[in-house]
Amino acid sequence: MRLVDIENLTVDFPQHEGTVQAVRGVSWHLAAGESLGIVGESGSGKSVTCMALLRLLREPPAKITADRLELVGENMLTADRHKLASIRGRVAAMVFQDPMTAFDPVFTIGHQIIETIQAHRSVSKSQAKAEASSLLAKVEIKNPAAMLESYPHQLSGGMLQRAMIAMALSCRPQILVADEPTTALDVTIQAQILQLIKGLQSELGMGLVMITHDLGVIAETVDRVVVMYGGRVMEEGPVQSIFDAPAHPYTQALLRSIPGQTPGRHRLIEISGGSPSPVHPPAGCPFHPRCDRADAKCKETPPFMAIAESRHAACWRLP
Amino acid sequence: MIRYIAGRLLSILLTFFVMSLIIFLMMHAVPGGPFDGNDMPVSDAVKAKLNASLGLDKPLYVQYFKYMWGVLHFDFGVPFQSPGETVLELLARAWPPSLILGGLGVLIGAPLGILLGMAAALRRNTWVDYLASAVATLGLTIPVFVTSMMLILIFAVWLGWLPASGWGKPNSWILPIIAYATIPLATYARYTRSAMLDVLNKPFVTVLRAKGLPERKIIFQHVLRNAALPMVTVFLPMFIGTATGSIFVEAMFRIPGLGAYFVSSIELRDYSLEMALILMITMMFCVSYLLSDIAYALLNPRIRVGGGER
Amino acid sequence: MTPALELRGLNKSFHLKTKGGFFPSYTELRAVRDVNLVLPTNSIVGLVGESGSGKSTTGMLAMRLLEPTSGQILVDGTDITMLDHIALKSFRRKMQVVFQDSYSALDPMMTLQQIVAEPLHIHHIGTLSEQKAAALDMLERVGLDRRYGGRYSHELSGGQRQRVAIARALILKPTVLVADEPTSALDVSVKAQIINLLLDLQKERGLSILFISHDLSVVRALTDEVAVMCDGRIVERAATETIFTTPRHPYTRALLDAIPVLNPHLRRTRMFLSREQINAATPRLRAIDLAAKCDPSAIPQLVAINTNHHVEAIVT
Repeated sequence: MRLVDIENLTVDFPQHEGTVQAVRGVSWHLAAGESLGIVGESGSGKSVTCMALLRLLREPPAKITADRLELVGENMLTADRHKLASIRGRVAAMVFQDPMTAFDPVFTIGHQIIETIQAHRSVSKSQAKAEASSLLAKVEIKNPAAMLESYPHQLSGGMLQRAMIAMALSCRPQILVADEPTTALDVTIQAQILQLIKGLQSELGMGLVMITHDLGVIAETVDRVVVMYGGRVMEEGPVQSIFDAPAHPYTQALLRSIPGQTPGRHRLIEISGGSPSPVHPPAGCPFHPRCDRADAKCKETPPFMAIAESRHAACWRLP
Repeated sequence: MIRYIAGRLLSILLTFFVMSLIIFLMMHAVPGGPFDGNDMPVSDAVKAKLNASLGLDKPLYVQYFKYMWGVLHFDFGVPFQSPGETVLELLARAWPPSLILGGLGVLIGAPLGILLGMAAALRRNTWVDYLASAVATLGLTIPVFVTSMMLILIFAVWLGWLPASGWGKPNSWILPIIAYATIPLATYARYTRSAMLDVLNKPFVTVLRAKGLPERKIIFQHVLRNAALPMVTVFLPMFIGTATGSIFVEAMFRIPGLGAYFVSSIELRDYSLEMALILMITMMFCVSYLLSDIAYALLNPRIRVGGGER
Repeated sequence: MTPALELRGLNKSFHLKTKGGFFPSYTELRAVRDVNLVLPTNSIVGLVGESGSGKSTTGMLAMRLLEPTSGQILVDGTDITMLDHIALKSFRRKMQVVFQDSYSALDPMMTLQQIVAEPLHIHHIGTLSEQKAAALDMLERVGLDRRYGGRYSHELSGGQRQRVAIARALILKPTVLVADEPTSALDVSVKAQIINLLLDLQKERGLSILFISHDLSVVRALTDEVAVMCDGRIVERAATETIFTTPRHPYTRALLDAIPVLNPHLRRTRMFLSREQINAATPRLRAIDLAAKCDPSAIPQLVAINTNHHVEAIVT
């Protein structure tokens, strides 16, 4: 069974200046035990997609429609509050970008992990505490007992992100959604956290959705990649084949523009122009105004088509 | 913590003396004395005699030290406008109605305001929010004597359910307390709404939802507790501000409270009473700020537990 | 040739209150310790390190936006730590700064043309119409159309705001530019544009740039030399390619090792060293092997192992 099944998801935010079309017809799925990377720049709709999947957006103002929005067979569009609360944290858990603001500042780390355990399972407080302690040990916290008694402001970002991961794993979820889990952290801490997430994912056999703007993080952690731009999926496929032979002009340009791949001081290959307006997105392919291969046809929306074995892309100029 | 409190108490004591000196000098800087009123002309000889009997002929610093010496022994002197009793006796007589009016007004208005503000924050941009905003805005913009007048008109004059004035039977308390409660109700509603919205927009609330915590628990345990932090700092001082009663409400409902004395003691150069009233309020504010700071520290682990690595 | 900027024995301590009350106590935080750095004319030097390493503080000190506890800051050979406020003001024309967060660095009430012209206004350079024309020229040079002159900063994207910040910094034709994480808040596709702009402007104007960043990939593409900071000290300093190909200090190696590799075929499990392990691995060198004369000491010091490669080591 598919852990996540999204078909034709759109998310709109009506505003005074017009409707922000954050997600415009996105489809992807996640198989059991698989790790999927969703890569995109700010405003690409990658985070909103996952927030919509768990129905974490405030509705209204958010308006979510989809042909299918399923989490382990459960229809997330029709689920009521109680159903949603029982799914979140238990079936699918989330790790967020900034660990410094992700914990309630007035409660201890221990309290916040224990309340998560007790929200989904009927265990005694002392048993929950023992479990919290062993979870912290699992994320390589040296002194779990002290960590349980600590308040968020007493800990560093790296420590808090470990605690966040421990909390996310506390109800043994089938899916872990990590939304830019290392963006706020230093590069050495980032490497440690990524290695930790990767290790736990294969050890526990969870599905992993890694949302990031960093292609390096994608290259290091996931099996399959979804590339998003302007609220749409541009390209999708196994990580090796995407890096070896990117098909979509956007993916190609993105990979070319990353600095530091060749020795010596040099000008970079840049993508001209800026991100598309979320209120008035360009007609057709959202990348066509910045694309050097675009022609008149690109003003029509390209179909998301199979281009090779388990690879899909949305571009008229292919193959 | 204990050191901190001791330090604060010392600074309150200092405030007390500085304040007393400032008030004393300001009172005496205003021209005229208690016997200069036009309605009760007295001859200069009599005035001098009266002044001497009250010690008002002495140099200012002597008067000040004499007064403060008395204050240290809980002797606040005799009010000139009511020489048959001491200032303390006057306070004991006139304060209870004001305290009941202000206290009950806050005790009724504040919780209602908090509930209204919570409802508005949780149902923001719906009719609940708009209604709460309208109530709060009206409560803050309509002067309390207009509210009082309307209450008297509706419930006393037209419906005849309740007495229009007086302070005798408990049913005569109802209208003034309602009139008075509108102020804390409106203030707390606005304050609670913004404090709640502030917390509801924090990332950790999304994390709590993503953990699958029931909404009820998120609101009542996490959001309220965090919203309470900035609220405790204004709650107590606001309470004190209202516990001294309202001149307007007391005047409208003819309540023999403290309100009238604030005006008369200044008009009549009733030095002892004026001093006592202002010092009393100063002290109450100082203590309430101290208490709310302590409450804030106890609620906020950043202060209670201290630093850490960051 | 006189370097554009030179830091000599720069120190900065902050005093953190650890206990309040009547008798507060303080601990000294040594944010920058004995930093020596040369920014040669017409070059870009990278200053890299993690948060709390002191790299941003060093940048602020170099601009004298913070007062150093001790040490010298030489701009074109003049020690600016000795200058009074009036002399410093005219000296500031030579040194400008660009920050990461251009959103809060640009006045929301001013048009872009006013923002860019403001330094000219402050230093009384040219007439109002000359200032305006120069500002529009500068906006055009950083890649913003002249009609952007009448717009406000909130109408711009992050990349465009950073262009405005660069235009404002360069309108006085400074010789030294301190750029503190100028591309960190930008999207991947825009980052390359700003890096290219900095490269072009540097070449075109003979600028010298101190480029402060935690992003080692950007530093590799942009800089001639790199200094690596850790706990307020410079632990290694060399030509950029030397740092990336033959790093000598364990901290530099740890930093480089942590960079994600852009090739999914090359995944591997990393070994992570603790700060204690890194400190314990400080290189031990014999005085006789060093490029410059140096006295043996048990305390780690920055020594030259090659003409242009300095590393912190214990000299025996």
